[in-house]
Formats: sequence, C-alpha cells, structure tokens
Amino acid sequence: MRNRHFPALLALLVAAAVLSGCGAQGRDKTAEEITGAGATFPYPLYSRMFHLYDQKTGVRVNYQGIGSGGGIRALMDKTVDFGASDAFLTDDELGAMGAPVLHIPTCVGAVVLSYNLDGKPALRMDATTVAGIFLGTITRWNDPALVALNPDTTLPDLAITVIHRSDGSGTTSIFTSYLSAVSPAWKTEVGAGKSVSWPVGLGGKGNDGVAGMISQATGSIGYIELVYATKNDMPVATLRNAAGSFVTPGLASSAAAADIELPDDLRVLLVDTPAANAYPISAFTWILVYREQNYDGRTLAQAQALKDLLVWMLSDGQSVNEGLAYARLPAAAIAKSMKLVDSMTYDGAAIP
Amino acid sequence: MTAQLSPKDRQERVRERAFTTAGLIAAVTLVATIAIFLVDLTISSRGSRSTFGWSFLWHTDWNPVTEEFGALPMIVGTLITGFGSLLLATPLALGIAIFLADYAHRRIVEPVKYLIGLLGGLPSVIFGLWGLFVLVPLISKFEVWFGHAVGSETLVTAGTTGVGLLASIVLLALMILPYSASLILDSLLVVPNELREGSLALGATKWDTIQNVELPYIRRSTVGAVVLSLGRALGETMAVTMVIGNGMKMPGSLFDPANTLASAIANQFLEATSPLYVSSLIELALILFCISIIINIAARAILRKRTQ
Repeated sequence: MRNRHFPALLALLVAAAVLSGCGAQGRDKTAEEITGAGATFPYPLYSRMFHLYDQKTGVRVNYQGIGSGGGIRALMDKTVDFGASDAFLTDDELGAMGAPVLHIPTCVGAVVLSYNLDGKPALRMDATTVAGIFLGTITRWNDPALVALNPDTTLPDLAITVIHRSDGSGTTSIFTSYLSAVSPAWKTEVGAGKSVSWPVGLGGKGNDGVAGMISQATGSIGYIELVYATKNDMPVATLRNAAGSFVTPGLASSAAAADIELPDDLRVLLVDTPAANAYPISAFTWILVYREQNYDGRTLAQAQALKDLLVWMLSDGQSVNEGLAYARLPAAAIAKSMKLVDSMTYDGAAIP
Repeated sequence: MTAQLSPKDRQERVRERAFTTAGLIAAVTLVATIAIFLVDLTISSRGSRSTFGWSFLWHTDWNPVTEEFGALPMIVGTLITGFGSLLLATPLALGIAIFLADYAHRRIVEPVKYLIGLLGGLPSVIFGLWGLFVLVPLISKFEVWFGHAVGSETLVTAGTTGVGLLASIVLLALMILPYSASLILDSLLVVPNELREGSLALGATKWDTIQNVELPYIRRSTVGAVVLSLGRALGETMAVTMVIGNGMKMPGSLFDPANTLASAIANQFLEATSPLYVSSLIELALILFCISIIINIAARAILRKRTQ
C-alpha cells in the first residue's frame, strides 16, 4: 500500500514549504559572522578582501552584491550589518534612514569611455565633446570637434552609436554627475542619477552588457568601469581634466582625483576635481554603517567585529585593491575614513 | 441504515478526506496567491497612482531624475513585441504541426517532437545570447538592405545596430514557436481517426480534410496554445532585454530601440531608491498583470462565441 502515504507526504511538503519561508529570518547572528549587501561594482574587491580576512581572523563576512539600492534598503531594514553603495546618500535619503549613517570609502573607481573603431585608434576627448556625443549633438565620428582634438588620427565618416546602461547603476550616477558638472546643457536637459532619461542611444544591462554591445557595433561608444575595459582589452578615451591636461584613465590617475580637500563626512563626488593629474570621472565607493551600533538588539561584540573589519579594510586590506584594478585610497582619505570609523558608538560610548 | 464500517473502509475514508483537504489547500493557495499579487501590487503602487493618476497610462516620459513617469512607451513595446511575435509564430506553428501530424513519416515525427520540446525548455538567456550575437547582426544587415530598398537615407546611415523592436519580435517568435507547435500538434494527434476516415470516404482530398475536419476540431486548443504563447511573449524578460535596446522613449519604427514592461522592471528595480520611482515600477507590474488578465478573458470570450 505505497500510495497510502501520499496525502501525508503532500501535507508534509506544504508544511515544509511554509516553514522554510519563516526559518530563514529566525537565524541568529553571532559575532563570527558579519553580513553586508549592496553595490556590485566593488564585489570582486570585497569578496577577495573578506576571503583574506576570514583566513586571517576566522571572522566570516557574507557579502551579497544585490545593487546599491538593495544594500541601502537592507541596511534600513536592519537585515545586514553594513550596506554598500556607489553613490552617497542625499540629505533626504539620509533622513529616511532613521539614524545617522556613516559613509566609509573603500577604494577609488574610474568610469571610462570605450569605443569600437577599426584599428583601435587612441582618442582624446574633452568635456564638451563627451557631453555633445551623449546629448546627441555630435553624431558622427568625423565631427570637427573630434577632429580638432585628434589631429593625428583619421576619423571615419561614421555615425556614432551611443551605448548606455539600461539598469539603474552607480556607474551611471558617476558618469552623469560628471556630465552635469562639466556641461550646463546636460545639467538642465538630463541631470544626474542612477538612471536618467537618455536623449540618444541604446541600453545594455550591466557593465558586461554595455561592453558586449560596444564590441558588437562598429562606431559605438559607451561608458564602463575601468576594470571591465582593462580585462577585455578595450580602447579607452583620454580625457582633458579640470587642470587642462589630458589624462589616461588608470589606477594612479583615479587615485589622484581623490587627492583634494575632502569634506569630513566623505560624501563627495570626485568628478572633474582640480588635482593636476586627476582622471575626471573618478569616484569613491562606500560602505554604509549606522553610527550608533546598539540597535535592533545588536551586541557590543557585533559592533566590535564590524569596527575591526572596517579598520582592516582601510589599512592592510588596501593592499588588495590594485591587484584587482581598484585604486587605493590616498593617505588623506584614509585618515578621514579612520576618524569616521572611530566615531562609531555603542550606547553612546566609543567602541573599544 | 448505519452499516458497521470495516477498519479497511475507515482507513480508506480517512485517506480520502486527507487527500481532499490537501487538494483543497493547494487549490485555495493558488487562487489566494493570485489575489494577493493583485492586492499587493495595487497597494505598493499607491504612491505612483496618486501622483500621476490615469495619466500614467498615456504619458510618454520616463525620467527618474525629475521623477516624471509615464508607461506608454513600455505598454506599446510590450504589445507590439507580443502580438508581432504571435503573428510571426502562429502560422509557422500551425504549418509545423500539420506537417508532422498528416504528412511526415512516423519515424521522423518522434525525434522532431523531441527536439521541439527541447527547444521549448531552453533557458531564455541562451536565446538572448544567440539573439545578440547571431540574430542582431542579421537584422542589422536587413535594416541596411531595407533602407536602400525604400530609399531611406536615415535608415542606412543612422548607426544600424540591429538592436530594437524587430529583433525582439523575431527572437520572441522563435521562443514561442516550440510552445504553440507542440500544443497544436498534440491536439491534432487526438483528432479521432473516424472523422478523418469519414471525410476521406466522402471523397474529400487530404487538404479538404485538414481544412474542414481537423482544423475546426482543434480550434479551441489552438486558441489556447496561442494565448499561452502570448503569455510567455508578454512576460519574457531576459532575452528581450538583451536585444530590444532598452530605450525608454516611444519607438518611431520597428528598427528603433524600445522597451517592454517586464524588461524595464527587471532593469531598473534593483537600483531604484526613491519611493515614487519604486512605486512607478510596481505600477508597471500591475499594468502587465492586467494586460495578461484582459488577454485571457478576451480569449475565453472569443472561444465562447465561436462554440455557440
């Protein structure tokens, strides 16, 4: 009578399905495990850092690259110990978090313009031409503005196909912040944000989606993270920075962008900074934590573990950065970040 | 008359009751899930509905920076790709099914049926990749050829990438083809042989039989197959995202980049932080939900009218 058990089995399955939904949330957190969620851009860096940290200290850090927005929501819902974001929270967003949130930068990233032209010529561009291309006012590769900047290169009589991100992303936020900073027309017509209303172009999903579309279509140009261009050996444009010199994107030039007078809360854009050798489309990526750590039944041990992790990421952890094509934080930025980490409290008292 | 139940009978009765209860729970859960979806989508989209009202449905701006949202480009994109692919796939599916049921040798029917099933089970991201790397370049060539043929200078020179509405329609048609073909084939195979033989005995040709006996017999299941395929086409996300170009503006032609409701949601939801942005995306989901329901109801209505 095998099938006698069938109803019981069915009931058991239903019960299991219902219970498994509840079980996942009831897991208790110990100091030996720290959870974080957020930006996908620093995901390779964080997973390497956290792997090393686990080997060194035995503290496991579970990081999920669910996107900056998701990370901010998770921190707000208090389901993670830290969030991670490629864009700093606006004053409004900070207000919605319910309690003061600290922005701890972990590295400097750069957004590069990559293109697909026969022969992979090296190209120079300035703020006006980049804005013109993405506004749709410069539509052909042999536009006089581009020719004037690249007198030694023969530019083809070919339409420019603009490729942008279709998903909301910190990369877009950095790139459009740059365009808004350098072009008044862009600022009024489009503005800056994680996703914007693009005047022209096609959308690709993710850095790899944009990179894929660029490699598919001759005459296309798009913006991607530096690390993707390096990995796929794609040509990148050299940009004129605020100081007037042409800078090739790279680790040194993006780190140089952070070599400026920084505000104490480190919520700052690094686009078009006045530093001499700065690559103009650079940005911090941040880890977000609540300043007051005694919330939602957290223990002092948990707060200590989190603080130790942040201190390590700003000191020894920085040695991981360059091997993975993320620029190190300059010394001044590290000093200010450490000050922020030290300002974390538990029950109003400093965390030892 | 209360006959004493034997232990075996009693056991049987318990078993019966347990099974009925379990079945009922499963059925109620299904209906409740759909109801909860609808309620949840309605509640979560309140912010967007109260800000934009009905104008959300016909506004063509989608600007996350200024927080002005309108769904029309995505609704149009969804309907054009959905019905376009249906228009392309249904005749082909009918042809495949009729060929396999009435013309092909038994020995090739089984392997072909198996292959169709296999194609239907392929993950859509594979279709998407194939679309991006094989189909899109072909469409791009077609675009240039078409531009020359109609003498349109803009089509030829406007940076023909091949990505856009047309690529999505063709890709979706390929994706739903195995579905509708195998569903129609299954219903053709159960057409009673008596009907077929009767028709032939009356002197009808093979084609007469197909046209006047078989096709009317499977009309209902064909409409069912078409609706199921349309459901898949409307909701398909990954493959469409990869070839539609994800433009948030009203498409002007079949070669323009566009977007569908499903693809817009999948693309933007993760990084949407402002409450109005999130609720606008949820309202897109609500619209997609309603479109699916309306199409299902319409299909039923058509069927009922036909059978009367």
